[in-house]
Amino acid sequence: MAASLTRFTRRRARNTALVVGAAVLLVAITHLAEATLHDIRFVTGWTLFGLIVGLALFNLRRRIPVLPLGSASDWEQVHIYGGWFAVAVFLTHTGAGLPDGPLEIALWIPFVAVTISGTAGIWLSRVLPKRMRDHGARELYDRIATRRAEIAAEAQALAISSARDTGSVTIADYYQKELSAYFQRPRNALAHLTGYQGHLRLQQQQIQSLHRYVDARGHKILNRLSELVETKDDLDYQFAAQSALRLWLFVHVPLAYGLLILIAVHAVLAHAFEVGPS
Amino acid sequence: MSAQTTAISRPRRWDNPFDPELSTADVERILTAPVFRDLDPDRFPPGQSLPDIVRNDARINRYQRGDIVVLEGDYGNSVFVILSGAVNVLYGYLPEVGRPPPRARRPFWNALAQLWRNSRESETRTLSPSARAVHLRSDRGRAYLPDIERVIAEHSVTLLEHGDMFGEISALSRSPRTATVVADTDCELVELRWQGLRDLRARDPDLRERVDHLHRTRSLLAHLSESPLFAHLDEATIALVAQEIRFENHGTQELFPTGELPAENDGSLAGEPLIAEEGSLTDDLIMIRAGFARVTEHLDHGDRTAGYLKNNDVFGLEELVRQWRGNQSVPLRNSLRAIGYLDILRVPAVVMERYVLPTIPEHLLPPITDADMRSTPVWKRDDSATGIEQPLVDFLIDERIINGTQSMVIDLDRCTGCDDCVKACAATHDGNPRFVRQGPSHDDVMIANACMHCVDAVCLIGCPTGAIHRDLSSGDVHINDDTCIGCGTCSRSCPYGNIVMVEIADKAGTVITDRETGAAIRRATKCDLCAGQLGGPACQRACPNDALARLDMSNPGELVAWLRR
Repeated sequence: MAASLTRFTRRRARNTALVVGAAVLLVAITHLAEATLHDIRFVTGWTLFGLIVGLALFNLRRRIPVLPLGSASDWEQVHIYGGWFAVAVFLTHTGAGLPDGPLEIALWIPFVAVTISGTAGIWLSRVLPKRMRDHGARELYDRIATRRAEIAAEAQALAISSARDTGSVTIADYYQKELSAYFQRPRNALAHLTGYQGHLRLQQQQIQSLHRYVDARGHKILNRLSELVETKDDLDYQFAAQSALRLWLFVHVPLAYGLLILIAVHAVLAHAFEVGPS
Repeated sequence: MSAQTTAISRPRRWDNPFDPELSTADVERILTAPVFRDLDPDRFPPGQSLPDIVRNDARINRYQRGDIVVLEGDYGNSVFVILSGAVNVLYGYLPEVGRPPPRARRPFWNALAQLWRNSRESETRTLSPSARAVHLRSDRGRAYLPDIERVIAEHSVTLLEHGDMFGEISALSRSPRTATVVADTDCELVELRWQGLRDLRARDPDLRERVDHLHRTRSLLAHLSESPLFAHLDEATIALVAQEIRFENHGTQELFPTGELPAENDGSLAGEPLIAEEGSLTDDLIMIRAGFARVTEHLDHGDRTAGYLKNNDVFGLEELVRQWRGNQSVPLRNSLRAIGYLDILRVPAVVMERYVLPTIPEHLLPPITDADMRSTPVWKRDDSATGIEQPLVDFLIDERIINGTQSMVIDLDRCTGCDDCVKACAATHDGNPRFVRQGPSHDDVMIANACMHCVDAVCLIGCPTGAIHRDLSSGDVHINDDTCIGCGTCSRSCPYGNIVMVEIADKAGTVITDRETGAAIRRATKCDLCAGQLGGPACQRACPNDALARLDMSNPGELVAWLRR
């Protein structure tokens, strides 16, 4: 049975078990400490700080590819599951309650934001690549704008030629009023990320409805325009998905560094105003 | 305003002779030696005269008794002609001594310093007054076999003497050395690198025929000695078997006759010559000597690809064993076709039944299965031999990806496009990425435009200086930037477009140009698998999503394991 599991499945099961085990142990130790009237908040606090520093090192590893510091995928696994354990330590440290002071709020909000953005990042990284496969060939992010410009140029040339070739301005008009702007820049990012396809359907219906007003040459042009609209839509999907896969890091990483600074301030203050048995 | 430039003399083919110290007397001596004295100087044009070729592409190596000349398994592209003395050829003997040390890796701090030493300008070079030549096997210093008497006594050896030639198998087929050659006495050998041999063969048909004949004869014996199917036979029996074997060439001369990938495959396989047809009698065991073959099964109006075969694979063994055990004719279950060029050996069924099968160890025989693939719908059939999905097998063969030993395979279901692989590549190559994260794809598998370090590296054939060459021990394909003259032959030869010509600049970013013509000086660049870097290919280590791997596509098991990870 175990042999049929993939390496990724086994890895996920092992890492989850490790984190759950560690969290259970942590809770048990906390309860034991409370029962024996020991205050271990400094222990959990410093553990949390150490964990977050460790997690932040992943970003450093990514920037030093020239050294044999282990594979980035192993680092990412440690980062993900270490992050979940950090949440357990955070809950233990804060008593799983809401913050009640300005500094606590200042710490609580970025921690939760880092956790949410990290979780979102994992979800996006696991889901969007698969979805992108259903939306045309994978384009390099830096080349999407060039490809979009090529499509726009071809669509414009078709529209211009349609007036000359068919003796009708129907297609040219439609292009000018509806398609010109559509081809110029990325569209429907939110719809793409939520999987909504209504905009494409609507556009294709509009193009389809024009067929009755044009001749055989016009049909050909409309068919090609329809293909270009679909290609552009796939390109927009690629752009939206790849942007999302980049943007979450712009939230996650700065917040994590900010959090580290705040934790350091918190530690200094906590030790400065430490109240203990005299 | 004209762009600022640095001007130099354009590098030329013979700027770096094989042996800069080869004297005129040495050249004359070589020209009067066997093999060379039979060449007709009138067949060579003035700009590429016979003495010119010898002066620049040959050298004289001197060995003492016991010295290792070439090692079995090493990659090399030279042929040798014995000027004086004798050498012993040993098949299947792999001495511990003489192995080249692995490519030197940079110290840790040196690697770290690379982070801030990388140039801000693209493709910068430090111009050195004297370029460094490509180092071939005999450059690595003397490798000595201390117990040559014992080795010769215990192993079967072939003695080659004055005037004999060897090394042609590796030179012509761009494959590893098939035997170890050890100096039997103190001896002198002319070593002629591939570039010289290529030109001599091109100009002199007699030499071409002579070398090709040697290649055919010896590669047959070498192949038999390498094959586990014949390992249990004694020398006399192998010689008997060898007499009955036919050597055949099929397909076009190169894997990519047009220099480009085949056009969109319509499934007809018309361009792939049929070597053995499904349903016909099993008359021979077919052994693949070089190149690739497609195994197909006829289905309705088309042919389903059941798998592919490469060097050292065999076709028809299962049928032969059934035939021999059942004492009745068994037709071939599949057809065999040549992909590009293909060298095969045909071992007649009667020879197999008389000499090989009665004594072959049972574990070497294929499992005899009765599985009937025809009960499974074609679109659901897996490759019976490899476990790879049928459409993916078709893709790998049609795009000739099977040629790659270090193909960069990207799992599109996991690749987020973060470009950490590209950034890592750039960081390890002075700021210049050596691949493009794009390429042919099938379903969730993309083969990125990175040098695949091919089994049959056609890029090596035309290089005038030998700048593009195989690493001696690993076989990886590298470019010596110092001896690359920027002719672009390798780049044009690569059917995958994985070698990129770049214009080089000095450290200030100023384009370097030819002093005479003003044209930019160019260099060939490609993935070098991060040779010399700590930790291996940076691209693979940098991927946080387990989406990228360097895989040997000629070994389907590696891809299967990765796909099922």
